[in-house]
Amino acid sequence: MKKNNSIKICLAQTNPKVGDLKKNIENHIEIISGAKDKGANLVVFPELSLTGYFLKDSVYDLGININTDEAAILEPIYKAAKDLDISVIAGFVEKDADFNFYNSSCCISKGKLINVHRKVYLPTYGMFEELRYFKPGDGFGVFDMDGVKVSVLTCEDAWHLSSSYIAVNKGAHIIIVNSASPARGITAGLNKFNSMNMWEELLSVIAFYYKSYVIYVNRVGFEDGIGFSGGSCILNPLGEVEKKLDYLEEEVVSADINLDLLNNERFKTPLIRDENLNLTLKEIEGIINKGTKK
Amino acid sequence: MKKELPKIDEYNFPLIYKHLSNFIKIEVSKARVNSVVLGLSGGIDSAVACYLASNALGKENVAALIMPYESSSGSSMDDALKVVKTLGISHYVIDITKQINEYFTKEKAVAAPDDIRVRKGNKMARERMSILYDYSYKLNSLVLGTSNKSELLLGYGTLYGDMASALNPIGDIYKTQIYQLAEHLDIPKSIITKAPSADLWEGQSDEGELGFTYETADGIMYLLIDKMYKPEVVVSLGYDENLVNKIYDKIKKSQYKRRMPLIAKVSERTINIDFRYLRDWA
Repeated sequence: MKKNNSIKICLAQTNPKVGDLKKNIENHIEIISGAKDKGANLVVFPELSLTGYFLKDSVYDLGININTDEAAILEPIYKAAKDLDISVIAGFVEKDADFNFYNSSCCISKGKLINVHRKVYLPTYGMFEELRYFKPGDGFGVFDMDGVKVSVLTCEDAWHLSSSYIAVNKGAHIIIVNSASPARGITAGLNKFNSMNMWEELLSVIAFYYKSYVIYVNRVGFEDGIGFSGGSCILNPLGEVEKKLDYLEEEVVSADINLDLLNNERFKTPLIRDENLNLTLKEIEGIINKGTKK
Repeated sequence: MKKELPKIDEYNFPLIYKHLSNFIKIEVSKARVNSVVLGLSGGIDSAVACYLASNALGKENVAALIMPYESSSGSSMDDALKVVKTLGISHYVIDITKQINEYFTKEKAVAAPDDIRVRKGNKMARERMSILYDYSYKLNSLVLGTSNKSELLLGYGTLYGDMASALNPIGDIYKTQIYQLAEHLDIPKSIITKAPSADLWEGQSDEGELGFTYETADGIMYLLIDKMYKPEVVVSLGYDENLVNKIYDKIKKSQYKRRMPLIAKVSERTINIDFRYLRDWA
């Protein structure tokens, strides 16, 4: 493995304290410093890692407009990223100039904000009520992080296979999935919750068929009886799990990923090269037009 | 389409055990206390809850209250003490006979005997709750709930009695699964094998009173609730129509027991209607 073609990613499987930005920021800084000591280039935190997940009305209190003075509270993270020459992906409640709130993930690299992903697919069924509070994002961006093309999908985004389809065809080599996924459902003979199993199958499909690295970072802990399942992991473009964190426990692990494997896999199985975007476009236009004619 | 209630077995038990232990540990610490207090009846539900709590918090942080009434069976007491002894937790025995009988001496003359039996049962459950909450203050502990999913759904419990608690680790686990959990937790055999009973009067049996077995009811409730199948679909899968309807009816009629009291909306922001925060808010 060429050392200069690998990057070290730290998976921060945390248990955010609900509603406590200050405490969560302190915890982030501590983890970022520790990751730097281990040589990490990027630290990935779970969805809404700075605020907690089932926020309900406290969304209103936690929203931050990152283009105003409100962003000052995030200053310690900017500073840590700059001082330690490292990139950080963290989740927060974003507020825009028109007072819309988003379930967002920022990427702060070396002291600069280089990307914000606003979660597009906001689950509002069963135990989830995101659309009650958040406005959906309007796209899946790909951004350059130290020469590596990265896209962030937040939890439910990844359950829509069109999201990773868009990301990878836009040039993503690494798909980062940050989540706050509750553990739920049991099956006889299965040594994990059903929800964990569904995630692992999904992530493996994305990694293998979109020939990409997939970095999954899920939180742990409980909010009002609902427990988050952890099980963060790294999958390579063969769909294999390269690194896997514990279920249900806080854990911070750094691991190298070898970007040469992308080259190798995409040459041998050029699914992305052969993707027929025009055909997809034509079909989707057909679907949409048919829908509107009704 | 036919699905069976999933079994808690040697494969999924370790993670369920860890999950429930974490639940107790984390939710108790959020209340800024270290310990729980629970009523130990000698039955399987409170035994399972007690084992889970002892594992999660350590034996020194679990206190069991054994609160017999004069008609409580002696074997219930023996079984409760077995749990206490095996786990090495602290316990208190508080006989509730005197206060219950004192209250009902005046009531007995004017009410039908069957009514009195039910009312006495409810009163006992609420007396125990009242003592548990007093000990919650005294021991700076949270009250651990011990109602399982089957009885919560069927409404087979006393509102503000045995249904009251600060947190409940087994409320999403059906009675049939409680037995499986108990096997893996190594709970004393005598507790696992005896017939389920609220032990509110001599010879009382859950299944006798309900008119069906938990095993049958759990299979049906799993389809109605967890799988969200309509009753007619459950019947089409081969279950007895009368029983399915009876169970669905019980679930609907006891919905009030599972909710907070209704509040008349007057203001622009009303508790639990549009004033919405987690209990973990603070």
